[in-house]
Amino acid sequence: MTENGDMKNAASWFRTGLERIGVRIRRPIPPDELFQRFRTVLDNNNRSLEVITDIGETLNGDYLFDIQYVRRSYSDLSAALERSLVSFDKLTEGRYRGIDTVYRSIDETIRRAIDGASPTKEGLVVFVEDLGDNAAGAIGGKAASLAELKNRIKVPVPDTFVITTRAGEAYMRHNRVRERAGLNGETVTGLQYQEAQELILHGEMPPDLYRAIERGISKLKKRCRGDCSLAVRSSGGEEDGDYSFAGQFETVLNVPADSAAVGKAYRKVLASLFDPGPVAYQQRLGYRAADMQMAVICMVMVDAAVSGVAYSRDPREAEDNIIINSAWGLGSSIVEGMVEPDQFRVKRDDPRVEVERRIGSKARLTVRVSGGGTELLPVPLAARENASLSREQVTRIAGLALTIEQHFRRPQDIEWSIDGEGNLSILQSRPLRSSDQAPESQELPSPAVVGEPLLRRSGRTVQSGAVAGKVFILKNMSELDGVPRGAILVARHDSSQLVRAMADVTAIITDTGALTSHMASLCREFRLPTAVNTGDMTRALIHGQQVTVVIDEQSVSVYRGIVPELLGTAGGRIARMEELAEYRKKRFLLRYITPLNLVDPLRDEFTPKACRTLHDILRFVHEKSVARLIDQGYNGSHSHRAVHLDLPIPAGIVLIDIGDGVTPISGQDHVASGQVTSLPLRAVIKGMTHPGLWRSDAVPLRVQDFLTSMLRAPDMVNDGAPSATASVAVVSREYANLNLKFGYHFIILDAYCSDTVRNNHIYFRFAGGATDLSKRSRRLRFMEMILKDRGFLVKHKGDMLIARLAGAGREDMESQLEVIGRLISYTRQLDAVLQDDDMAVRYAESFLEGVTGPKPGDEALTSGLR
Amino acid sequence: MAQSRIMVIDDEKIVGDMAKMSLEQEGYAVETYLSAEPALKRLEEERFDVVVTDYKMKGIDGMEVLRTVRSRHPGTQVIMITAFANLDAAIEALRRDVHDFFPKPVKIKELKASIKRALEK
Repeated sequence: MTENGDMKNAASWFRTGLERIGVRIRRPIPPDELFQRFRTVLDNNNRSLEVITDIGETLNGDYLFDIQYVRRSYSDLSAALERSLVSFDKLTEGRYRGIDTVYRSIDETIRRAIDGASPTKEGLVVFVEDLGDNAAGAIGGKAASLAELKNRIKVPVPDTFVITTRAGEAYMRHNRVRERAGLNGETVTGLQYQEAQELILHGEMPPDLYRAIERGISKLKKRCRGDCSLAVRSSGGEEDGDYSFAGQFETVLNVPADSAAVGKAYRKVLASLFDPGPVAYQQRLGYRAADMQMAVICMVMVDAAVSGVAYSRDPREAEDNIIINSAWGLGSSIVEGMVEPDQFRVKRDDPRVEVERRIGSKARLTVRVSGGGTELLPVPLAARENASLSREQVTRIAGLALTIEQHFRRPQDIEWSIDGEGNLSILQSRPLRSSDQAPESQELPSPAVVGEPLLRRSGRTVQSGAVAGKVFILKNMSELDGVPRGAILVARHDSSQLVRAMADVTAIITDTGALTSHMASLCREFRLPTAVNTGDMTRALIHGQQVTVVIDEQSVSVYRGIVPELLGTAGGRIARMEELAEYRKKRFLLRYITPLNLVDPLRDEFTPKACRTLHDILRFVHEKSVARLIDQGYNGSHSHRAVHLDLPIPAGIVLIDIGDGVTPISGQDHVASGQVTSLPLRAVIKGMTHPGLWRSDAVPLRVQDFLTSMLRAPDMVNDGAPSATASVAVVSREYANLNLKFGYHFIILDAYCSDTVRNNHIYFRFAGGATDLSKRSRRLRFMEMILKDRGFLVKHKGDMLIARLAGAGREDMESQLEVIGRLISYTRQLDAVLQDDDMAVRYAESFLEGVTGPKPGDEALTSGLR
Repeated sequence: MAQSRIMVIDDEKIVGDMAKMSLEQEGYAVETYLSAEPALKRLEEERFDVVVTDYKMKGIDGMEVLRTVRSRHPGTQVIMITAFANLDAAIEALRRDVHDFFPKPVKIKELKASIKRALEK
């Protein structure tokens, strides 16, 4: 242990020296303690994900559940998550305190929603750009969607403030509308609703609400330099987008920007809650009209030259087109069916391609009248015959429609306007309901009718359904962008990267994967028929084959060709349950729990603040916990049960065992590879020592290369932190954290490999290296190709490459780790021989062939890979 | 064949609503009640084939509903659902000839199958 002792002394001396000159060094947590904290985070995250999955399943329409169930489950979930956060805080030593604040806010929202209270604390009047996430309860669905459009998608939305549902409640209470009209009784008559409307229309504005509206107006006026009028329209309180309430409530256009006029328009819109039409609509959906809450939107009017509606998908037909209707003037003439607009249909996959252009008569146009209100005027004959949109404008609107659909993950119904100067604004976007009908029958037709399936596999059903399409077998992630619309995507692993293709495919089937994976969550949100863990579908199916796939609770069945009798047999009840208000209210909770917005950890917005749901928090915590371990492995002192690992290749690795990672022989400070019991490390060693891979004759480095590498050495060791240790591996039976100074490279590998699929992850970081920059980048290119092909999420920056993989089964992880082991050994010698970019590609191809099955080729290369 | 009649009693509206929607899809006539009193009154007026009742309710509870149905309407089958898996309640219900007993959340498919079996009795 002398060497270790020396290392420890050196590290301590180094630290004292730095502290003396005023540099404070964080004392690392001992590795086994650190690992325990990490495990606590991991275990509680897993528990949380299990509960989330369970709630998601129970609330999907297949179960009868009550509020007790919701309370109990949520209490389990929050308890696990809180335990995880406590350990996370210890693990990261308070570095991400912000996550607690975010959690508390989401937690409070959920608890309020469970108790049936309004999930909001928003003020009386709020500007759209100041709205936080999850504000739909406070401002209604329509305004929440405007906030998303403006703040997240960043499309142009006119200046808008919202008078919140809380304000509406304050108004109703101030004027005691419910009591005086008798709306609280068991049965309420039409007369009583009329009475309520009168009370609202002639009610008194609560003074604080009056002042809040006044402030809102003066702020708006400043922005439009005094010259503006407003559109005042409803935004129903509980609308969660499943029901549009389209055209149900009052809209008042061209309202002068003064408090009296806005107050009057506000009362009109609020009173429309009790119009006979809306009352009936609400009752049909299971609401008591008296319980409905309403927010009101005040939006600056666009001086519209042309306005219209865009459907991001044609709801009536199977063809994939975007529909745009347009007419001169304000859009109300179109939505209220007053004119025959122009209609353009363009292709979704290429909005420049016009499929149809029908010029409508557009006989009249709606314009603003000075002083308030609108009027309908005749359109001059010449303008009637002209298209109201240019080709370029059609393309622009269509492109925006697709962007908006992509964000909301559902086809959208969008209102837009273009002013006299050609500026396009989005006024509203809401989900477009397709005309699909829920099937009546749940039973599969008998084999006599539909024939026997080609194959049937058991698996885990993420979302059931029956669809037909052509099989697309994804061999590597770079093919994702080429997946044709309507395909059945078949992949080896589930991966959140597949999200890219989700809008296009009709089903996803994977060989391995877990129900709690990110992809599974996303597929549930999409209601995309999905099965994971089916075993061998990538091998059993044929690329390009036309099949019908039925995913039900037990299995995935694949039938040859299109079998109409099967389509629509599985699933389908879901949509009908959503007609129940009580059900929707409970399901509404899920929006604070299950969606995953934080998908890519390599992006800047991967911060506590960006977490909008509990799932996001879990993701963040997991990612940062892994990072913390890696960081410690990198910077920490490793003096704990350290032994030298003897390998048949030159490696010089010191092992620190934190739990059943090696079987040491007592009294010896060396272990052989056979004594390693750590699953991930064993796999890596197997790859590194693959017969023939390690060339005993060193690849010749030219003198220049050698000098470059010497000069670069401090840099690559540094990489943000001083380190004086040799190559180190912290291991337990299922975990390995390797920090290798290997050859001229610096490598970090953090891997968890167990029978619990969702715990499994690989983080691989490769940095530094000898030789000149172009050769180094060629090497990274080579590694990137290989890792991407193996399904890793890969990013490289400068001469550093980061690759991640998660959620694969144990055997799969082992085989991936073995490949990484081979890569580590292989690249150590590679950069010196990579002379040009083509060579990197050729080498990568050869390497892959070597991995997936030996093929003849460059003998020097493939000899090492078989 | 006449339409089978199902009654659902649960003090939470969502349970009745969801049960009604899914059972009507099967072609049953479904009535829902938020408490046992009006439900038992209704049973005096009209024959129901199956009563699905919550166990724990304010006022008359599910066990009482079971007892009443067994003594006054022997042709009607009772299925009991409960918020917590409660072994004593289950044993007691079985003793009183309950047709089936489910802890919540209840898989709708299983409830449907149970009702189908009850109707075949």
